[in-house]
Amino acid sequence: MITPGSRNGGVYVDKEWVKQQLSEYVEEKEEKRPVVEFLTKLFKHKGAVFGAIIIFLFVFTAVFAPWLAPYEYDKPDSSAILQPSSAEHLFGTDEFGRDIFSRIVYGSRISLKVALVAVGISLVAGTVLGALAGYYGGIVDYIISSITDIAWAFPTTLLAIAFIAALGTGIQNVIIAIALASWAGYCRVVRGQFLSLRERESIQAARILGMSDARIIFGHMLPNALAPVIVMATLELPKAIVIEASLSFLGLGAQPPTPSWGVILDSGKGLIGQAPWISFFPGLMIMLVVLGFNLFGDALRDVLDPNS
Amino acid sequence: MLKYIVKRILLMIPVLVFMTIIVFTIFFFAPGDPVSRIAGPNVTPEVYESIKRKYGLDQPYIVQYWRFMKSVIEGDLGISILQERPVIDMIKERLPVTLEIGLLGFLITFVIAIPAGVMAAVKKNTFVDYLCMSGTLVGVAIPTFWFGMLLMYFFAYKLRWFPISGYGTIKHLILPSFAIGLTNAAITARMVRSSMLEVLKQDYVRTARSKGLQEKVVIYRHALKNAMIPIITLMGLRLGWIIGGSVALEIIFSIPGIGRLMVDSILARDYPVVQGAMLVLTSSIIVANILADALYAIVDPRIRYS
Repeated sequence: MITPGSRNGGVYVDKEWVKQQLSEYVEEKEEKRPVVEFLTKLFKHKGAVFGAIIIFLFVFTAVFAPWLAPYEYDKPDSSAILQPSSAEHLFGTDEFGRDIFSRIVYGSRISLKVALVAVGISLVAGTVLGALAGYYGGIVDYIISSITDIAWAFPTTLLAIAFIAALGTGIQNVIIAIALASWAGYCRVVRGQFLSLRERESIQAARILGMSDARIIFGHMLPNALAPVIVMATLELPKAIVIEASLSFLGLGAQPPTPSWGVILDSGKGLIGQAPWISFFPGLMIMLVVLGFNLFGDALRDVLDPNS
Repeated sequence: MLKYIVKRILLMIPVLVFMTIIVFTIFFFAPGDPVSRIAGPNVTPEVYESIKRKYGLDQPYIVQYWRFMKSVIEGDLGISILQERPVIDMIKERLPVTLEIGLLGFLITFVIAIPAGVMAAVKKNTFVDYLCMSGTLVGVAIPTFWFGMLLMYFFAYKLRWFPISGYGTIKHLILPSFAIGLTNAAITARMVRSSMLEVLKQDYVRTARSKGLQEKVVIYRHALKNAMIPIITLMGLRLGWIIGGSVALEIIFSIPGIGRLMVDSILARDYPVVQGAMLVLTSSIIVANILADALYAIVDPRIRYS
């Protein structure tokens, strides 16, 4: 290490040489796995393929809802009240003669929007908090992890209901409530990752090189901590969909005539003896979508995060 | 050991205190003026002011929290705006109903999940295992409230084995408990399977087998007993999920439990009731989690947390 070079307090240190050695080390540690290898591994799982197909169909339905729905979702038809499944009305009609299939097709938009936005917010908030706690340690870590542990102890559905009680009903508030109730998981995962990453030589080297905290956190540590976060988010998406549907079912989320799957389920609640199809199909859709995300998420975990 | 358990129970106190802060704050900032909620819409400004002073609503946040905390410790959760009765009495009526469903649900969970999980583990990678595991995959994905409606349709409307809705006899509880128990069994069976597989690899299982013990005895007497240890903690964690899931089931089956009380009160903007129910539910779930954790340490002496 000590070679002839710049004179520094009586010790010869070749700064350039040290820098070169260390930065080689940094790059070596940051080798990225090829995308192709990742996809081959992932789609070896039959579950991943099946899950991916369901997720694709779900997203496709949400995006192209106006083209896929044969009827308008809120148009009553007095000549077709409470009809069971038929060629005209694939999933039957409700008490206003509205086409259940069209309502479900449009409802997928609400599910997808709520899931993406709520999970997106909680992911960013949880990750940033977890990164701060894990990187700085000490009092910052103590405060953040105490709050996280307590938020973690709350059951998600109940906490979301409490937030709805305070915020009021509606899709927007459902999104906020789900996000507020579910960030703690990401925070715990990222903090754990950062605590172990912090001790890695590559990160120590980056510090010695005088990189800014922000660059170390976002450029070097976060990419290495992202795998379990992505897995978690994939498995949180279906949970958000179910919570939205439950809240809307209870009258605390989307309000009729919004075609949220929970609202459709609720509208069939009183008619279950006469017209079970009203509630049957939206529930079936929720189940399939949740199954798809779970299968895909499990396979993703096997490939990205084999230690857990 | 004792030190760990005492420490764990002492740790509960800050968590519970923080929980009261969160619940108080949520409802402190809830929209709507609490004074006009109590006084009604047509009051003179003088009466309005006197009510505000009487209930301490003119005090700052910290003072109000302190008063709230003091009355909670004394067991006073406030008065329902709608029913004009103490909230604690309403909760005392409703909570046992929810607990009945929850306990019956846990019972059904165990009756289904343990045999299924054990069978899947013992016959690993056979048809039985695949069948059980595909069953759990579907079970995890089924929304509990939808499953409750399906059960209601088949067993109450079609087969007429059970009453459609209401509360009073054990028959009324079967369908909702089954809905929650079976969906919970799915995730539990997966845990039992992986925990069982872990245990079956252990030396003492091999020793028990080589002693010439019957396979049944080895599995149920030796392996299962140890495989159940992590399941205890899981069940503590599942309590919150069970109560969250029973909210919708109580609505579907018209059962007067605490979940129904909470939803009705939210829709009627009866905040003291929601706040009280929230406090009771979350604190019991937190206590249950920590007790399950302590129990884990008692049952398995190898576990030492630092």
